[in-house]
Amino acid sequence: MAVTNTVSVLPLAAVLLPTLAVPLIYAARTRPRLRETVTLVASTATLVTVWFAVQSPTTLVTPLGSFAGVPFALRADAAALLFALLAALLWLVTSVYSIGYMYALDEHAQTRYFAAFAASIAATMGVAFASNLLTLFVFYELLTLATYPLVVHAGTAKARAAGRQYIMYTLGGGVAALGGIVLVGVLTGTVTFTPGGVDALGAVDTTLARVAFVLLVVGFGVKTALVPLHGWLPTAMVAPTPVSGLLHAVAVVKSGVFALGRTVLYVFGPDTTWDLGLGLPLALAAAATMLVAGVVGLRQDNLKRGLAYSTVSHLAYIALGLALATPVAVFGAFAHVVAHAFMKISLFFAAGLIYVETGEKYVSDLAGVGRRLPMTMTAFAIAAAGLIGFPLVAGFVSKFHLLVGAAVSPHPAFVVAYLVAGVLKLLYFWPVIYTAFFGRRGSQTSESRHPFAPPHATDGGYVEGTAWERRSLTRETSPLLLAPVVATAGAAVLLGLVPTAFPFWALAEAVVVEVFG
Amino acid sequence: VNHLLPLLVAVPIVGALVPVVLGARRPVLSRRLTASVLVGQVGLAVAVLAAVAATGPRTYVVGGLPAAVGIGLRADAVSSAFVLLVAVAAATLYLTVRTDTTGPTDSLWLLFVAGLTGITITADVFNLYVFLEISGLAAYALVAGRRGTQAALAAFHYLLVGTIGATFYLLGVGYLYVATGTLAMADLRVELAAIGYDSPLVVTAFVLVTVGLGVKLALFPLQAWKPDAYAAATPDVSALLATLGSTIPGYALVRLVFDVFTASFLDAVPLVRTGLLAVGVASVAAGGYLALRQSDVRRLLAYSSVLQMGLVVLGIAIATPAAVTAALVLLIANAVAKGGLYAATGVFAERFDATTVADYAGLGRDAPLTAAAVGVTLVSLVGLPPTVGFAGKWYLTLAAVDSRAWVVATVVLLSTLVSLAYAGRVVERLYLAPALDGVEPAVTDGGGLADDPARNRAVAFVVATAVATVLVGLGSTELTAWFAPVVEGWL
Repeated sequence: MAVTNTVSVLPLAAVLLPTLAVPLIYAARTRPRLRETVTLVASTATLVTVWFAVQSPTTLVTPLGSFAGVPFALRADAAALLFALLAALLWLVTSVYSIGYMYALDEHAQTRYFAAFAASIAATMGVAFASNLLTLFVFYELLTLATYPLVVHAGTAKARAAGRQYIMYTLGGGVAALGGIVLVGVLTGTVTFTPGGVDALGAVDTTLARVAFVLLVVGFGVKTALVPLHGWLPTAMVAPTPVSGLLHAVAVVKSGVFALGRTVLYVFGPDTTWDLGLGLPLALAAAATMLVAGVVGLRQDNLKRGLAYSTVSHLAYIALGLALATPVAVFGAFAHVVAHAFMKISLFFAAGLIYVETGEKYVSDLAGVGRRLPMTMTAFAIAAAGLIGFPLVAGFVSKFHLLVGAAVSPHPAFVVAYLVAGVLKLLYFWPVIYTAFFGRRGSQTSESRHPFAPPHATDGGYVEGTAWERRSLTRETSPLLLAPVVATAGAAVLLGLVPTAFPFWALAEAVVVEVFG
Repeated sequence: VNHLLPLLVAVPIVGALVPVVLGARRPVLSRRLTASVLVGQVGLAVAVLAAVAATGPRTYVVGGLPAAVGIGLRADAVSSAFVLLVAVAAATLYLTVRTDTTGPTDSLWLLFVAGLTGITITADVFNLYVFLEISGLAAYALVAGRRGTQAALAAFHYLLVGTIGATFYLLGVGYLYVATGTLAMADLRVELAAIGYDSPLVVTAFVLVTVGLGVKLALFPLQAWKPDAYAAATPDVSALLATLGSTIPGYALVRLVFDVFTASFLDAVPLVRTGLLAVGVASVAAGGYLALRQSDVRRLLAYSSVLQMGLVVLGIAIATPAAVTAALVLLIANAVAKGGLYAATGVFAERFDATTVADYAGLGRDAPLTAAAVGVTLVSLVGLPPTVGFAGKWYLTLAAVDSRAWVVATVVLLSTLVSLAYAGRVVERLYLAPALDGVEPAVTDGGGLADDPARNRAVAFVVATAVATVLVGLGSTELTAWFAPVVEGWL
């Protein structure tokens, strides 16, 4: 496929629009309505910008001179557009949800919150559109800095400790990644992304090439939350729920796995990765992460922590697909980037909505909450089904491709890992759903709780014996909170029913064509 | 245009008479004249830089005497950039942060500028000593200018150690003269190659010169004077010293190593290179460790400078074009960052009486502008993109990996985490700690709305340095391209 580059400001605009929102949000700090309008306008404008870039028949490039002696450029290739479109779309949805969430809880420091959110999206756009490792690294580190205020938002000792852990993990990973980038630069003389890999890497000292790969994988593996580099993610759930939703299920972790994909597919290339004997260890690490996180997740009674472990596990699905590096597996990996994003953000939205409406954080305190929040919990159930891998939801389509990709790879045994991980997801989500719909409060008997449910770890937040008020579908909560949940869960279903109707499908296909020729 | 070179030194020296004569009787006039001398110095520096950009390096021998005995001056792309740094830092700090305007102390400010400018443009190793002493004596006196025994003791300590350092340097110059019979840098370069780099005289001279400058750079284990002096001086003086006091000797070390001894010397005497590497690694480790243990922010920042100077020495020891470029970029990065940070410590100390990390609790709310600027500047010090600190670290890592110096590459990368640990303490304290009980500051910097114009100027300086760390970082390609011809000429 001949790639035609066209110089365009669109990739730059996608980074600049959310950047510009930051000072405007601060300028409007005394007028909350105007401030929220800025967020909504900026997110809409970003989405429209990315949409135009997706429509372009040629590959759009914004050259921005050079930084530290390396060309600094933004380039909207298929992988970049897939990630950017996903982040822009979900930013808009999350903005609506955030407004409802922050108002409902009357949170402090809302201006800092919305400003840091916009800055995080700007950095994510930069990660998506970066045309070489150094450009990616710049935005990758900025993303860490921009998300830090969101993690520590509560300002409590616990939040500060989580923030310290988050910073040490992610910037520590950044140091490893920088070492890898420098090594690649020195070995090959280039750090520019090349579909199918930089040829020169196959011809250099194999030990050094391996070291560079390990450094990059460790560096980007922190945000991907590969075990044992995942420790920060469950802790970072102390952040407000919209943050956990967009950033810790979508933008931050996906930036990590996206950078990992760039490393495997656009720097080393599938062939060199396996020739150097690096594919199998990475695949094993991903498979181990998938299973370990799945098992640990079973023991989580705190809903957000449980979802965090589910994220760790699902990110490893993607990492395994990238490591196996067969065309179908890579397609599945990129499809799962999108599918997991829609499903997981629905779950986090639901978790945040539950917290706003009931004040509960623990699954065992939520017995029977389906009566109080019927629509929310239905969306939750649908998204959970998708993550388990039920047909008709997005997760099935992507997982199917991952399974097929693993089956046709040299190591078909990884199919078993995917299947076992799916069973673990079922074992985690079914008791949650069962408790929510069929449980009854104030009772430890088998009729209130599922036998597989994790041990009771309640914070004692509810009064024994009180029953949920039954509410109708339309009266359960504020539309600002409910509409995003319904929209993302609905999108997850549509992605499962008519996956080709979304541009994500074509973009993932384009990635595969670009990388494998 | 060549006559501009002697003016660069002569203007501040002659200008130093103004505060002595007028300081006591006409303080306002004296202050205005001092300011105009400093601004004029910036103009001269710009003119020299422009001349170098237009027609290349310039040399000038005072009085037209032969270079071997005359006072030779030389400005090339690198030295003219550092001359500009000295002029701009001294002028802006004087106009924004300087508070003490009484009596003769402004003379010291001007003499300090004259000395540092002389170090930068001299083409003669003995004159370098003279300028080193001029700037050193001015610095000791500036530190002593604060009332109280703490400042007096610190200044005395600084004077003793600084003089010993200068003496080491002078001994080294003596050895060089004995070995070669010349003091002019250009002649020395040729003569040293002729008598052989492994001659004991030459090696001893190198060690003595390096130890002497190492005191000024506060390399481990010669760093003890620095935190004392910076913490004891008034905020304006510590900002000036932190910006230039070690930066210019650092530049002098680069110039002496590569323009006089040359990289061939390092190749011929591997032990010297190993020694430099060891000193660099030790300074990074010790500076980081000591910074982590400090509670006083000014002492913390002083140890951070020890770490940064260790990185500079590592760049010198690796001695490839990328590494030397990295050393120069890191010198500038540290200068800009430390100027702003010490000015900020002054703002915090004067307005909130906050000098320790613990005292900084909640200042992110009470002084949002200063605190945000401090945050950005610390990001540069840690070395995260897109700041100038990152650019320096990037070139240094690149050079270390390129010459397969794995230990150096690892140390440089890990220094990021150490810097992060001490910088993180400060930032977390500024933004996330609840204000201390009973301390409810009534005034804030209110985005520039405070009633004290002097303080607002200081805040403006802090913000300007924060912006500069980002802008210079974004322009790092241009900066290194500007240095490239000279650096490649050395190697």
